[in-house]
Amino acid sequence: MKFTILGMGIWGRGLQGAGALGEVVRGASAIVPETEFVAPRPAAIPAREQRRAGLLVNLAVMVAHEACENAGVDKTLVPSVFASALGDTDVTDYMCRKLTQTEKLLSPTRFHNSVHNAAAGYWSISAANHAPSTFVGGFVNSVGAGLLEAVTQARAFGQPTLLVCYDIANRQPFADLLPVGESLACALVIGGEAGEQAASQAGIDCELAYVDGQTSPTPPSTPALAQLASANPVGQALSLCEAVVRVCGPGFAGERTLWISATPSASLRIVLRKPS
Amino acid sequence: MIHVQAFTLCSALGAGMGATRQALAANRSGLMPANWPDCDVPCYLGAVDLPEEVVVPDAFACRNNRLIELALAQDNFLSALDAVRSTVPSHRIGVVMGTSTSGIDRTEAAYRHLTEGDHLPAGFLQPRTHNPHSPGDYVAHRLGIHGPCLTVSAACASSAKVFAVAQRWLTQELVDAVVVGGADALCLSVIYGFHSLQLVSPAPCTPFAPDRQGISLGEAAGFVLLTREPAPVQLLGAGESCDAYHMSSAPPDGLGARLCMERALAQAGMTMADIDYVNLHGTGTRANDETEALVCGEMGAPRTVFSATKGFTGHALGAAGIVEAVLVIDALLTGLVPGTCNTRRHEAPFDLLLESREQSLRTAMSNSFGFGGNNCSLVFARA
Repeated sequence: MKFTILGMGIWGRGLQGAGALGEVVRGASAIVPETEFVAPRPAAIPAREQRRAGLLVNLAVMVAHEACENAGVDKTLVPSVFASALGDTDVTDYMCRKLTQTEKLLSPTRFHNSVHNAAAGYWSISAANHAPSTFVGGFVNSVGAGLLEAVTQARAFGQPTLLVCYDIANRQPFADLLPVGESLACALVIGGEAGEQAASQAGIDCELAYVDGQTSPTPPSTPALAQLASANPVGQALSLCEAVVRVCGPGFAGERTLWISATPSASLRIVLRKPS
Repeated sequence: MIHVQAFTLCSALGAGMGATRQALAANRSGLMPANWPDCDVPCYLGAVDLPEEVVVPDAFACRNNRLIELALAQDNFLSALDAVRSTVPSHRIGVVMGTSTSGIDRTEAAYRHLTEGDHLPAGFLQPRTHNPHSPGDYVAHRLGIHGPCLTVSAACASSAKVFAVAQRWLTQELVDAVVVGGADALCLSVIYGFHSLQLVSPAPCTPFAPDRQGISLGEAAGFVLLTREPAPVQLLGAGESCDAYHMSSAPPDGLGARLCMERALAQAGMTMADIDYVNLHGTGTRANDETEALVCGEMGAPRTVFSATKGFTGHALGAAGIVEAVLVIDALLTGLVPGTCNTRRHEAPFDLLLESREQSLRTAMSNSFGFGGNNCSLVFARA
């Protein structure tokens, strides 16, 4: 299946935006152990609401807006796919702790934030967007599940679709299940087949194949990014974003192939080509 | 064209379509006074009678996956799947599940047993249970399906949206068959969560009644097998939209609801005048029913029959979409149109069917509207 990548949004430790990713890939800046995570403050969510929304939602909404701005797509019209391995573990932890008590009084706000489409809801409100929006889970294969959903949507709707992959650093007991050491979000605006896009939306040409059989996901080739990627399932999306930066770089020729896990027994092969 | 090859359902009405049809025909609600461990919210629940002997492997052990196991065993669903597998390789079959709770009932239990340092005791170290994708992961594992697999979690629209995903996969020939389904288990998170929003009715829910008091929660699991091969019922349209209004309330003008209904109709090449029956979202809350009544009152054609079935099953949240899609598919096949159980009088500005009746249908729509503003409408038709 052919598709295009039209723009990106990134937030993680040492990666405040897609521009920062470019600098790290080119070696113009570095992510070192001392680099601190900066909490995202998405301008699209009022400050008072940001506190209620929590880190996971702020992270997702932050990169969603950045990707749309970088892609030059109309935020009010773009369909969206949100994908996460564990969802909002801060909210899950709050709910489950409260429910062990005799007085099981839950905060209505925390409860409505416990739906896994919470980030999709905050995004659609912040962008005044009535297009289809969804949340897909694939556990450690959530990036692959989200990418497949976004690509098939972009092709079905004949218009660019926003993909947002996001997971936050967790503590016990979730670290016993799947340790996530870094908070990280990557958004990509996915277009249908090249040629169907407006000239202003020329992107990276890509081809996706669903391949039965497991192939190890391709880590980023920049060491600092590889370390970050290994600490969060969203790292598979970071690899894809890094590949976009490399394919766009001066002097790049030919194509670049990377693998993203789709299910416990299958993978997605993604081939990226520099736009002509 | 996307066709329905098989379907099955387990809800408060019983296990399988036989029990379901009997309850519908008798206008017998599955709602009972709450008798749920550790729950002191005065309410009615649509609980599934889940036999102890229905078990799943330890890695997936939770009530939600046990509901799935019970549903898969009904209505010859697995035989129909086997028939498809005789010609379609496993990696060309997809799995799309919808849920809101996933395995959270098990996570709640785990929190009652945390050890020093908030660690999970051995029996609860189940990564494939405590995450939003557990239903999809379990179904693919259980059925040995190797095609694309994901779990949609968009609150009460979750297992309606699975049809939209399957439709795209089949139309684009990514796969040749898709097992779509939904499952949500009753748990303290949803009972106390909706209680915190003051949306839980102390009496059995009565959608569209002037004195309705809110929702009755339920649980369910159901499946539909979809392929491109001709069969008696087709999926003609799947429309999705966002309210972009508020996290837990719908806009008074019902814009999101209207948009998804219009998109489903447009895809089916129809207008409301072509729809014989609409299974409403109809939760029984003041606001939801009012909004849906407004939109359907404006869009509905004079001969369209409407009903809301959550008085039968309770609101199965992430499984509500599959429950009502299956009821619509079955109504197209059997001509038994479910009524609006428990509701005696209504204030809807359209023909709301209160008691189930026999009526031949050609086309039908199902509405599902969720928290976070995610909406989905489906249009099915008899071929």
